[in-house]
Order: sequence, then C-alpha cells, then structure tokens
Amino acid sequence: MSLHLLLVEDDALYAGGLAADLIALGHRVEHVGDGRLALAAMDREQYDAVILDRMMPRLDGLSVVETLRARGITVPVVMLTALSMASDKVDGLEAGADDYVVKPVEPQELVARIQAVIRGRRWTVSETDTIRAGNIVVSPTSFRAWRGGQPITLANLELKLLAELARHAGEVLTRAMLIERVWGYDFEPETNIVDVYIRRLRVKLTENGGEDPIETVRGIGYSLKP
Amino acid sequence: MIKRAIRRLSLRGLTIAVLALFLIATVATGISILAANRVTVARAVDRRIEAIADLVLERDAGEMRLSTPLLLARIATLSTQRDTGDIGLLLLGADGRRLGGNIAPRSTLPMGRSDLRQRDGIIGLSHGRALVRDAGEGRRLAVVAETEPFDSYRATRTRIYLTGFGSIILIVVGGMVAFSMLVGRRIADQRATVEAIIAGNIRHRVPVTGSADEFDRQAAAFNHMLDRIAELMDAMRSQCNDIAHDLRTPLSRLRGQLARLVEDARDPAQAERASAALAQCDALLAMFAALLRIAEIEAGHRQAGFASLDLSTLVRDTATMMIPVAEDAGHRLGVAVNATVTDFVGDRQLLTQALVNLIGNAIKYGGKTITVSLDASEEGVTLRVADNGHGIAAEDRARALRRFGRLDSAREAAGGHGLGLPLVEAIARLHRGRLELGDAAPGLAVSLILPGR
Repeated sequence: MSLHLLLVEDDALYAGGLAADLIALGHRVEHVGDGRLALAAMDREQYDAVILDRMMPRLDGLSVVETLRARGITVPVVMLTALSMASDKVDGLEAGADDYVVKPVEPQELVARIQAVIRGRRWTVSETDTIRAGNIVVSPTSFRAWRGGQPITLANLELKLLAELARHAGEVLTRAMLIERVWGYDFEPETNIVDVYIRRLRVKLTENGGEDPIETVRGIGYSLKP
Repeated sequence: MIKRAIRRLSLRGLTIAVLALFLIATVATGISILAANRVTVARAVDRRIEAIADLVLERDAGEMRLSTPLLLARIATLSTQRDTGDIGLLLLGADGRRLGGNIAPRSTLPMGRSDLRQRDGIIGLSHGRALVRDAGEGRRLAVVAETEPFDSYRATRTRIYLTGFGSIILIVVGGMVAFSMLVGRRIADQRATVEAIIAGNIRHRVPVTGSADEFDRQAAAFNHMLDRIAELMDAMRSQCNDIAHDLRTPLSRLRGQLARLVEDARDPAQAERASAALAQCDALLAMFAALLRIAEIEAGHRQAGFASLDLSTLVRDTATMMIPVAEDAGHRLGVAVNATVTDFVGDRQLLTQALVNLIGNAIKYGGKTITVSLDASEEGVTLRVADNGHGIAAEDRARALRRFGRLDSAREAAGGHGLGLPLVEAIARLHRGRLELGDAAPGLAVSLILPGR
C-alpha cells in the first residue's frame, strides 16, 4: 500500500535522507521544515499520515498535534523525536499523537508503525473477539490458539505474541513494536528476546506439520502470513 | 559537654524534663512554705502558752505552796482578760479530777507540749497546741491555744495554695505543651515538604504563615533553596533535551547515510566496511540512549510514577521470561523467589529493566549457570543475579560500577557500552537501595539491595 506522507522535520539533511528512504519504499513524501508550514500543508492537502518532529523552531511538534486535534483533524500522527524520556512519550501521546518513536528509526520500522496506526483506526472488532489469520485462530480471552483446527499449547507470552502478530497479519511488526506491545516494556532490552520467542512460536506452530506461517523481514521484524 | 547533652536531647525529652523539674520545684516550694508556716506558728503559740503557764504557776517570794483556790483565781482572772481570753486553761487534781478551768477536753493531755486536734473535744478548737505542767502536789495545769487565726483556716489556705500554684502549673504546662506542639507542627510542615520532594514532587513548598517568625524565615530560606534546585533541575533537563536533540539528530543522519552506504555498496569489502561503521554508529546510539536513561532516572522525575507492585511476581515472571533467552545462548537459568514482597513501592518498568539487564549481562559475560534469587534481608529485600563464570576481581568491582568502566577486552568484544551496571545502580539508588558486586565463588554475584517498606 503506497502512502501519502507528510514529513515535518527541521533538520533538512536528516529529512532528505529519510524522505529518500521512504520514497524508495514506494511512498509519496512531502517534506516541510516547521510546524506552521505543516499546518498550512494539511490545510491544502489530505495525507495518509504525518511524521512529526518534536523540537522545531517556530511551532513545535506538540503544539502542531494539539492544534490538529483541536481542529478535529484525525489524521494519524507518528511523532519522531530525539527526546526519549518516559515523560516525553507520555506528553506526546497525551497531546494526541498516535505513536511516539525515538530517533533514529529504520524507514521500514517507521512505515510499519504508520501502517499499524492506520489499520488500528479501521478496526471495528473489539479486543475480546477471536482473531483469525490464515488457518490460525487465537482467542486472547480464553488463552487458547488453534492451527488448522488443532489446539496449540502456548505459554502466556507466546500467546500474546501470536495474538499481536495475528491482529496485524500481513503487516510487519518490528522488534521494538513487539517489545512495546507484547512485553509492555518502555526500554529496549539488549538481548534477543523477541527472536528467541519467535523461534519458539515457530516450533510450536509447525509441530503438527504445515509450513512456517511467520515471515522474517530481514533486519526489521516479523510478519504473520494472512 | 553540656552542649553535647543538649544536642542529644529530643524536643519531647526536653519538654518532659523541664516540666518535671518545674513541677518538682513548685510542689517543693509549696510544701516548704506550708511547713515553715506551721512550725513558726506552733513555736509562737508554744512561747505564748508557756508564758501564761508561768503566770499561773508564779510563786511570790517566800510563798511555799500554791493553793488550789489561788490557782483557780489566777485562771479565772486570765480567762476574763482581753489578751488572754482565747486561752484554754485547766487544773486537774492529783486524782485526775477536774478542779477548775475554762475547758473540758475529752482525753487526758500528756505532760509537756503536744498537738491538739478537733477530736480532743475542746469546743471552738480545730488545731492547736497544749502544754501540761506539774502544778505541785500532784496537780497538773494544762494551757491550750489555737494555732489558727480563724475558723476553717486550713481549708482556706489549701484553696489559696491550690488556686495559686495550680494556675501557675497549668499556665506553664499548657504553655510548654502548646510551644512544643507549635514547634512540632512547623517542623512537620517542613518534613512533609521534604518527603513530597523525595517522592518526586519538586514543586512542593513549605507553607509560610505570614507571622515573620523564626520558622517563617527558615521556611522562606528553605523554599528559596528549593526554587534554586528546581531551576537547576529544569536547566539540567533542558540541557539534556538539547543534547539529545543536537546529538541524536546528526547521529541519526549519520546512521541513515551509513545504512544507505551498506545497501549501495558494489563490492563485498566495501559493504563490510560500511557495515562495521554502521555497527559502531549503533553502539554509539545505544551508549547515548543508556546515558540519557541514566540522566532521566537520576533527575528523579520517575518517582512521581512509583506505585505499589508485587515484586515477587515481577522477579519470577521476568526471570522465567528470560529462561528461553538464556537457554538459546547455551546457559542454564534457575529462579528462586524466596521472599514474598507483594507491596513494594517502585517503578515497574525500571525494576524489570534492571533485572533483564543483569540477566543479559550474565548471559553475555558470565558462566554457564545463572541463578536469580529474591530473598528477604535485614535491610529489606535482595535481588541477586549470580553466575559461575570468571567473575570480577574484588579490586576491579568499584571500576565496574563507574560509567564506561569496562574491565577487559573480552567484555569490549562482546559489544557492551560500559553503562549497563551504572544504569542498574541508578535504578537501585532511585529506589533508595544500592548495587553490590560480590563473589559467587566462582563467578560474579550482583545484588540489588532494596529497602523494605
């Protein structure tokens, strides 16, 4: 899915590189250098999502997102910032951003996060429902999972991991996203926790035969085949 | 020495000591006045009745004996005179019979001086003194006088003493109690502020009453100091933000360019060099992230998010979660939660990060067997991660806790940034605990010692 993105970033060099990367991934990117230009650009055009730097001259990122939300504009906003404190993140999300990413970020990770936000907006099913992806069924509420009708015995964390992958089947979930959403950590562990758990999940999913439903996106993360 | 003793005294102790001394002094004064009063009056009365007894028993020159009628006449005369009319006189015969006089006591009065009470049955006398003398031929003369200037004198005196000394005691005790309560309350105000600030609310201030007293001046100085600290903290925070922004953005730029170099490389040698540069850039970013995290923890803002949590479950879940990670790297990880701590107040994220980091360190640098344990200790609880590897020599342990204090090339090769243990130590300090490196004989034992409730 090609996205029409607005990149708001005052560092022209960094923005140039990131925009080139995003374009190389097949997206349309428009770049503006400060908050006021960003608001003006959004008056003119519709974007699928906004990538918003936080510390900028003239109008900073927090004010931009607050202004947008106050005007009733619900465009997905991912804040991309240099400020990494937990309280900074809370500030960003409370101002109305949909996700908060600390620099630097792989362009693929950024796109994965934007797509997760866009997908999240379209959900109509509640969290309590069972989730289907291919021949995999996960019921997070009853802590059970099946593949091709066969029950799979999973530990709690493995089930949460499978549920998250199934909920975003067909999309890439990065390691950082999984650590955030499945483990609930606000820090990046310096061990390969995600890879180890994915490996265990793969073993359990293919115990009764069948091909590996989890795809590795090299250097980025994982994706469950839809 | 006195100064030292005063310094050791508590406010409550001082109040109690002063009050006790004051009460003793007041009561002693009251008793002394009362006693002096009684003794003096008794002596004066004794002298008076002695003089009267002398008058009655006076012998004229050459007079050999005092006849009973003469004595009775003298008694009658004295009884009618204005200045001796209040004296009781009694003459008893050798057989103890009453020969005459103006009183009739119920009991026999002893020879010499004695005290008189109401029960002695002398009309109109509640307290007095008596003197009984030999009047010759077996006769005895008793002279009796009151020691009280008017009726119910003692009750009146007691009332005066009680109201006088009582009100003095009440005023002083009340004053001392009020004083110590006032001092206590003002100090409690300050303590509440200090505790609020320790809990992370740097905006808290000591209330100023506006009375401009010593405490108000103290509170104002204290608040001024807090304003200054808050300013410095804000400055540090904004400096941290500036550094984060000014350094992270160009580093991110550099990383992006290196990543593109890796992708665009034409020959493998070039790609390898670019990959190495990218890895170094990532290491730099990881170090930077760890530094900022330590700064965030040390700024103390996270204390505002402290909540009661089940530490035993957190340790058990986190360590169990790490078992597959350890096994994947060829280690064995054992978990022993021996203490039940269900109401620990702290930051769930940071405590989890500390444990994940310590286990990660043991996997990276330690031996094949890793043990995580949580035990109750005198100081509170001890979270221990031990391995059976080479450990760290005792003389190098302090260096291991210093920032960037990496120990050997083996650790360097494993890609550590030298901030892992300082980060865990900062987390320990935030929870008012400490980090200790010990010998697991063999291997390293890292203990996170956290205070109890």
